[in-house]
Amino acid sequence: MDKPRSNQEWFEALSNQDVQQGEALEEIRRLLLRAALYTLVTHLSDLQEMSEEERLALAEECAQEALMAVLARLGDFRGDSKFTTWAYKFGVNIALSRARRWRWKQVSLDDLADDDGTLNWFQRDERFQTADSEQPVRQKEVVEVIREVLRTQLTPRQRQTLKLIAFDDVPMDVVVQRLDSNRNAVYKLLHDARLKIKQQLVRRGYDLAEVMDLFQ
Amino acid sequence: MMKTNLAKFVRHVHDTQDTEISCSVCLDLVSQYVDLEISTGDATIQLPLVKQHLDQCLVCSEEYQVLHQLAVLEAEQRLPTDEELMNQLKK
Ligand SMILES: [Zn+2]
Repeated sequence: MDKPRSNQEWFEALSNQDVQQGEALEEIRRLLLRAALYTLVTHLSDLQEMSEEERLALAEECAQEALMAVLARLGDFRGDSKFTTWAYKFGVNIALSRARRWRWKQVSLDDLADDDGTLNWFQRDERFQTADSEQPVRQKEVVEVIREVLRTQLTPRQRQTLKLIAFDDVPMDVVVQRLDSNRNAVYKLLHDARLKIKQQLVRRGYDLAEVMDLFQ
Repeated sequence: MMKTNLAKFVRHVHDTQDTEISCSVCLDLVSQYVDLEISTGDATIQLPLVKQHLDQCLVCSEEYQVLHQLAVLEAEQRLPTDEELMNQLKK
């Protein structure tokens, strides 16, 4: 086997338009295909009902898309990781996003819609079975605070996003796709929601570590 | 008792920071994070915000896990061949 390229060698070979670039492109494309194949193999449960040919074609597409990402982002490579680790992350990111969307493509999120702020869905998750008689009462208090914040301080979009991702286990990529949004925006919605709930609990004198213990 | 989503959510509220990095920043740093884990083991000390994001964000965390496996296999020169992977993909 040839000696692996150093970071500098990868960067230079892919940056310069010469014979070397062609070889380096072919090599990185092969490595990205392997990363995409590996990723899909680790998430086969997402690919049920997809034919063999479709799976292989998906891996090829992901590798190609990842190659485009690597070339577009080459200027961002700072050399603080191995070049291959840096490149693989695009293959993994693209392959997993595609696999998640495939799995969920038949599912209508409308069925999971927030019921107009009545928060029945939130109540449903309230399954507290414990021997400690004090605990359910205190849990209920905390749940009431959370419910109040959900109802009064979150926008319908924030509430809906939180419901889908945190309580219905819909992958963020699927929500992003259906909302025609992006991961950063959706993550920010969730972060703002969590922060508001945390601040309300603190304001009302709750010890957050104790609150967490109540539910674990 | 299996952890309910509510229990998970309360833990996420507890772990919430005023400032958290976005998924894009996480993707930018995750390769460095993985290689630090493999080489020095102090990734969480050097990049605590990545660790915090991975604890909160399931999609980024799943990607991190696969990337970590890939990087370890490559470092140990144990990456499966394309042929092996294609056979597994057909299952
Ligand atoms: Zn994320």
